Amino acid sequence: MHTLRRLRVATEQWFDERYELRPLIEKNVTKKQVPRTLSWAGCFGGLAFMVFLVQLFTGMLLLMYYKPTPEAAWDSVTFIKSNVPMGWLVQRIHVVGANLMIVLVIMHMARVAYYKIFRKPRELHWLSGVMLFGLTLGLAFTGYLLPWTQLSYWGAQVGTEIPGGLPLIGEAIMIWLRRGDNITGETLGFFFALHVWVLPAVAILLMLGHFAMIRRTGISRPL
Amino acid sequence: MSQDVEPCRRRTFCKACIGCLGAGSVAAVGYPVLTFLAFPQRLAAEKPVELPLEQLPPGQAHYAQIRGRPIVVLVNEQGPLVLSASCTHLGCSVIWDAAAAVFRCPCHGAIFDSTGGIVSGPVNVPLKQIPFDVKDGVIIVS
Repeated sequence: MHTLRRLRVATEQWFDERYELRPLIEKNVTKKQVPRTLSWAGCFGGLAFMVFLVQLFTGMLLLMYYKPTPEAAWDSVTFIKSNVPMGWLVQRIHVVGANLMIVLVIMHMARVAYYKIFRKPRELHWLSGVMLFGLTLGLAFTGYLLPWTQLSYWGAQVGTEIPGGLPLIGEAIMIWLRRGDNITGETLGFFFALHVWVLPAVAILLMLGHFAMIRRTGISRPL
Repeated sequence: MSQDVEPCRRRTFCKACIGCLGAGSVAAVGYPVLTFLAFPQRLAAEKPVELPLEQLPPGQAHYAQIRGRPIVVLVNEQGPLVLSASCTHLGCSVIWDAAAAVFRCPCHGAIFDSTGGIVSGPVNVPLKQIPFDVKDGVIIVS
């Protein structure tokens, strides 16, 4: 025990001498002040972020076995679920996490809306949050197609028809989303690219802005 | 005597508990992740390759895999023959050229004859012959 502690103290000192991390950690984590009246409902945003991290991690794992082509997609997902050790668990966590993240984001937004936290000076927090909500839905929708099952095929069919209902530009959007007139291998590749790189990258950038703004203005104090 | 021993305070106890919980959590996440990542090849169990002779017309090559390595089965006048399909130069898969009755390596142009012997190219070692059995008209490579 004593050697362990000495090792820890030495490591901390090594980093402190160079990067002066201790005041930073104390200010932002261990001795951070939050309003006494803050309720547990204030955790939903943070929880949604935690689930996002879980999704990022399980997604990386799934990516090692998934193959984004119409011939191989379903087989590769079945392979993950039934042959790869713990693959069923990783795949399930990714699916449940997707649903959970949407639920948590909605609860977070409901609280912010109910307490009118979006008012000055936090207008842009809300705006970036709405964009993040859209990205969350986009991630869930694009991910839904990837297993290439009947359910995901028709899900994508219906989902891309919704913007198709817009007047004038609707059909162009639908064809753009589908990469053609129908859901094909092209759509699968496109959704795959959106799901694993484009949407997460944009979401991470927006999150950084979202969190930086919260740090700058502080958490809203309930009355 | 007793001054040497650190008293077991509440804080120490709590820290120990948190440490144990942390270690448990790391194990609970780490074990599935490691087994997930350590998967390669374990499933590709050593199944023998079985090919009925009537499916192999003479002068045509049939490709298969054994333990993840490519092999080629060829039937010519002397009977069936099983060769490793990895070029002995740098390991590319050789391609059977039925018209010329030779194997050609697509990478650096090595040429082997129908028994795996060297014809030309940057190689010093002929294609490896792989032992096989014939049982009831079925070639078995294991």
